[in-house]
Amino acid sequence: MFESEMLTHNLLREYVKDLVSKGQRIDGRGFQDYRPMEVKEGTFTKAEGEAWIKLGNTQVLVGVKADVGEPFPDTPDKGVLVSNTELLPLASPTFEPGPPNENAIEVARVVDRAIRSADAVDMSSLVIVEGKLVYMLFLDMYVLDYDGNLEDALTIASLIALGRAEIPKVEVKEDGEIEVKEEKWRVNLKDLPLNFTFVKIGDQLLLDPVLEEEQVSDAAITLAIDKEGRVCSIQKKHGKFTMEEILNAASIARSKWPEIAEKVREAI
Amino acid sequence: MSESVILVKNREVVVPGQPLAKGRFKLGRDVYRDDSGIIRAKKLGLADIKEDTVSVVPLSGVYIPKEGDIVIGVVSRISGSTIIVDIRSPYQGVIPIPRGRATERVDMRKYNLKLGDVILAKVKAFDGSSSLLLTIDMEGLGKLEGGYILEVEPAKVPRVIGKRQSMLTILKEKTRSDIIVGNNGRIWVRSPSLKELLALEKALRKIETESHVSGLSDRVSSFLTQELSD
Amino acid sequence: MPLYVEKKPEVLITEDGVRTDGRKPYEMRPVRMTVGILDKADGSAFIEWGGNKILAAVFGPREVHPKHLVLPDKALVRARYNMAPFSTPERKRPGPDRRSVELSKVIREALKPAIFVENYPGSVIDIFIEVLRSDAGTRVAGVNAASLALANAGIAMRGLVAACAVGRVGDFVVCDPNHDEDMWGDADMPMAMLMEAEEITLLQTDGPMTEEQFREALKLGRNAIRFLYEMQKEALRRPYQVVERSVRGVV
Repeated sequence: MFESEMLTHNLLREYVKDLVSKGQRIDGRGFQDYRPMEVKEGTFTKAEGEAWIKLGNTQVLVGVKADVGEPFPDTPDKGVLVSNTELLPLASPTFEPGPPNENAIEVARVVDRAIRSADAVDMSSLVIVEGKLVYMLFLDMYVLDYDGNLEDALTIASLIALGRAEIPKVEVKEDGEIEVKEEKWRVNLKDLPLNFTFVKIGDQLLLDPVLEEEQVSDAAITLAIDKEGRVCSIQKKHGKFTMEEILNAASIARSKWPEIAEKVREAI
Repeated sequence: MSESVILVKNREVVVPGQPLAKGRFKLGRDVYRDDSGIIRAKKLGLADIKEDTVSVVPLSGVYIPKEGDIVIGVVSRISGSTIIVDIRSPYQGVIPIPRGRATERVDMRKYNLKLGDVILAKVKAFDGSSSLLLTIDMEGLGKLEGGYILEVEPAKVPRVIGKRQSMLTILKEKTRSDIIVGNNGRIWVRSPSLKELLALEKALRKIETESHVSGLSDRVSSFLTQELSD
Repeated sequence: MPLYVEKKPEVLITEDGVRTDGRKPYEMRPVRMTVGILDKADGSAFIEWGGNKILAAVFGPREVHPKHLVLPDKALVRARYNMAPFSTPERKRPGPDRRSVELSKVIREALKPAIFVENYPGSVIDIFIEVLRSDAGTRVAGVNAASLALANAGIAMRGLVAACAVGRVGDFVVCDPNHDEDMWGDADMPMAMLMEAEEITLLQTDGPMTEEQFREALKLGRNAIRFLYEMQKEALRRPYQVVERSVRGVV
């Protein structure tokens, strides 16, 4: 969905729009269908929790690493969660090496916002000594293959990685010394806030856009839904929407939540 | 004393650097002779030994333009005097816009192009490194209207066409589609409905992955029959 | 603050030459190679070697950006070696550090002699190596995977480049040093060869070796490289054999 770089040709635009007007998509899916999703078996990193998932041809790998340190001064009773996304140059001919650009940063923050606004991770459970020592969780999102819809794929992978994470227990002894124990604890995921990304083509909303659909879309929006069906975070990307369209998108997202949440639970 | 020995079977999958033959053979495409006179593969591909010529038919690789090729390109930039065309290659194609007397000799309506337009063009000249000249002046060349573009590995284009267009005929007839194949791996398609287009896409993937196993035409034919039945 | 503290093993190698992971001096760790694992890249490969998990991808030949870098008579070759933040026990800050910059250059110089750059003037061939999980020998593993990715991309090459590291622990010259040997051993010598002429395109060392040890190390490395070369060939051919078998099975 990174407009400037990719050259789209006019036949693509015309054909996709024509199909949409007939209720069809270029890969034969329904407007509200996700592409086939696969969680790869095995471990591929040294993260405390990880997930390598495929959504259609999009592939992402998310790793959760833990450390301990000082909390932020304004939240002494909460642990720290840091999210970072790398749009690796190997994932697309249009990704260049270098520090995260506005697209990478936006994607990272959108995923992070879904998790934070739904309070999915119990941040106060990450405290070791209030005001002094807390667990810091680093959510590193690696995009390996870009074929559309990074937000949803990365959110799913992040939740699985967090749910699977096994973190060494850290205690502070009486003399103030920090001790890392053998024992491990697991992150308590209180919610599974999932991002649902829609693109608008003509006046239709398409869920889980494939790269070509992103390229010719008139508008795009990502909404996060929590387990109670509440909308907890929203990011309108490019273009414009009517109020009805957004309410409609939220309603579709709500109805799809159980299906995707089940896949996340299974993987954890 | 050089004996002529062939070291591989015809159509065997060979890797870069693999020895193919020793002795008095002619060098075909994508092979080289090393310092000791052994002919080796330059690319991952199928060994192609014909009489006295050793070649490799590559299984993948980016499109490198050749004079006379027909290509499907996308207009990526228009300046006052030239049209720049992306042909899915490291080299951008250039179409000079005719001016003055030259405009009398061509159909100037063809030059009414916009950014993003898809065109069928012919490679007029290529100096191998920077200057790629295309033309749309011949009959049948120019802007493509309607339809859709599919892509295949440029290396597999000959298989999509087939001997005497045999494979292309199967694809056209079974999917009742108009199909124009560009040497650069882009294929323009106009199908009666999405169903035929999806079947065609699957057939192209099949050709890409199974091109090294003989009997491909029959398999593609039965595959399409099955896919499009009911 | 580190959640993982390394402890130097008491014995790196026994008198009989048994190493911390039970291997003999000449033994390699298990290796698995797979090609074509990414969709968008022109060529890709994945290597698992010991605990290493490394992805390599190639784009090209393609148009050069920025234009001023163009070489009119040959392809520009660029390589980027990068370690993922979750590839090490301690999280690694994203972005290149001095080590990755050096390794990127060394890897480029290891692969460039293999490529027929004159076949692609005015273009660029980009090689990306991502270390997802690090376990000693990442640069040589990266070179092996990158060679596969280049071939998988259909790029014209003189041959594949295979690589292995050799180390010295005490009086023993050891093949494919593991993490302990890399950290606390006496010398580490990564090497790569362009096959089949076996021309050395990567060679570095960071500890002293006598002439005999050096000679032995080169031989040991070369033998390991020959073995890895066979594995590379098999990895490149495998997808075609798999397809052939499945097609024949149905027919």
